[in-house]
Amino acid sequence: MVMKNKFGQLKIQQMAFMLMAITLFFALVGMFFLTIQVSKIRESASVLEEKNALLLVTRLANSPEFSCGNSFGITAISCVDSDKIMALKNKAEDYNGFWGTSNIEIRKIYPATNPVECTSSNYPNCNIIKINEEEIESEYSNFVSLCRKEIANGQTYNKCELAKLMAGYNG
Amino acid sequence: MVEENQGSPYTNLSFKKRKMKRNKLGQEEMIGFAMIIIIVAVVVLVFIGFSIRNQQTENVESYEVESFLQSALQYTTDCENNLERFSVQKLIFACYSKEQCLDGRKSCDALKDEMTKMLNESWRIGEERPVKGYDLIIRTDKNESILGLSQGEITSNSKGAVQDFARGERLIEIIFKAYY
Repeated sequence: MVMKNKFGQLKIQQMAFMLMAITLFFALVGMFFLTIQVSKIRESASVLEEKNALLLVTRLANSPEFSCGNSFGITAISCVDSDKIMALKNKAEDYNGFWGTSNIEIRKIYPATNPVECTSSNYPNCNIIKINEEEIESEYSNFVSLCRKEIANGQTYNKCELAKLMAGYNG
Repeated sequence: MVEENQGSPYTNLSFKKRKMKRNKLGQEEMIGFAMIIIIVAVVVLVFIGFSIRNQQTENVESYEVESFLQSALQYTTDCENNLERFSVQKLIFACYSKEQCLDGRKSCDALKDEMTKMLNESWRIGEERPVKGYDLIIRTDKNESILGLSQGEITSNSKGAVQDFARGERLIEIIFKAYY
């Protein structure tokens, strides 16, 4: 009788161990899948964050104060009129807080030259146009086409260069 | 009679042997079960590992790359004909039509030269930089190659975009991938 009880106890113990092991196993598998799902969500969140930031910059580039419009014979997106920007630079104080950015900078990246900030005296032989200059916490940038009218051999033509529009934010 | 048998040393020995055998059987079962769990866990881990690796090789759509392509196409090159200075977009068509620049250069050479310089300035690659390499393909809808540029190493993590534009019946496709 005692022997049978002991054998039964052993079987119950075995079953308990088995149940614990199965639970542990499925918990581990569940955790793995959960980790994968969380990493996927994080990935899509970072893509969305990037998209939002870049769209914000693109929206800025396509605003009437920046965009080329139809002045260059094409209705191109992400095209910034540098002559407009230079005019805007002189009126920057009137636009304080208008775009919700603390800092706006356009940096020519191709053709590459030594960094020279644009002023009314050296334009267009420069490559950095700063509109607002405040302390910033975060900065987003996107590629834009920086276009202006140029004269060569007595003829006017459209000169577009590759630049980055940088928008800085506080908070 | 029973009491006599239980008390005998022979009966005690066989009982102990049976008990030990049962204990051994239980231990073997548990070891077997543990082994099955380990094998299944390893199989699941390998499967998960493969699925994660496959996901990483997928190309992630990038708005930065898309903006780069759109802006690059508008860039005014130093190749011109009697009428105008070509933008990169027009230079691609000029290259496809095997035209020449006014200064005698082949339009395809001018395109290759401009794109190489532009990519080197815009997507600086290096071990200590986030971008490890890039790949640019310009081709027609009939899969005729116009230009192919590649630099750096091709990693499993990439961001890319495709830009299409048409002139007449001809559709040109630009595919750019930046490897991180």
